[in-house]
Amino acid sequence: MDQQLKTDFPVDWVDDNYVSRRDLFKFLTLVSGALAVGSAGMAFVGRSDRETLNFDRQLIGKVSDLPVGASQTFTYPRQEDLCLLIHLSQGQFVAYSRRCTHLSCPVDYQAQNNRIFCPCHNGAFNEETGAVLQGPPRRPLPKIVLEVRGDEIYATGVTTRSEIEL
Amino acid sequence: MITPDDHHREHQLTIFVALILFSLLLILIQMWLCFGVVENLIAGKPAMAIPAAVVSLICFCVQLWMFIGIARIDRQV
Repeated sequence: MDQQLKTDFPVDWVDDNYVSRRDLFKFLTLVSGALAVGSAGMAFVGRSDRETLNFDRQLIGKVSDLPVGASQTFTYPRQEDLCLLIHLSQGQFVAYSRRCTHLSCPVDYQAQNNRIFCPCHNGAFNEETGAVLQGPPRRPLPKIVLEVRGDEIYATGVTTRSEIEL
Repeated sequence: MITPDDHHREHQLTIFVALILFSLLLILIQMWLCFGVVENLIAGKPAMAIPAAVVSLICFCVQLWMFIGIARIDRQV
């Protein structure tokens, strides 16, 4: 019976396990191709990440209600998206997501230290750019695009990742 | 006794081993680029993603070119 099988299917283990150099190179080329495709995919993701997402214009505060050095919270674009509006200097307003990019703790503005501070793990962000100054966060705070019209301040979009270099 | 055929085969084997090592080096470079890009993307710096992708594609083209060469040598043997 065994002899009959061997005659019918004459495949030897050595032949079966044999990997030709062409097969080995084919495998290495496929791995290389997969890595190249992965890199191209990440480049595409990186490009699209830089875009500003536009949402409906929303009134978030009034210039007269916010003195220089003060901040106020608001929600944008959804009710659960907490944000922070800061009056840096005369007429210069910035707004960021209030969610720390480390573990989503709410951040607060510290006017005396010129920074936005996360009390959970002592993370700090630049008040003008949202870039990371210290602590475990690695990404800058998402920036809210603002439009000041007379006495009214509007939010018009969110920049998910700014091209801020530390 | 070493015949010219043996000598030729040994020569080809040396070239093949060199190509394999070079190929592995290219793959290591591609992996290093991939990890670098992931790290930078997480850190919010996508600027290096496109140059890394270009270098990775060049590595792949070199790899493909070597594979075609190996296939041609195999066909001749």
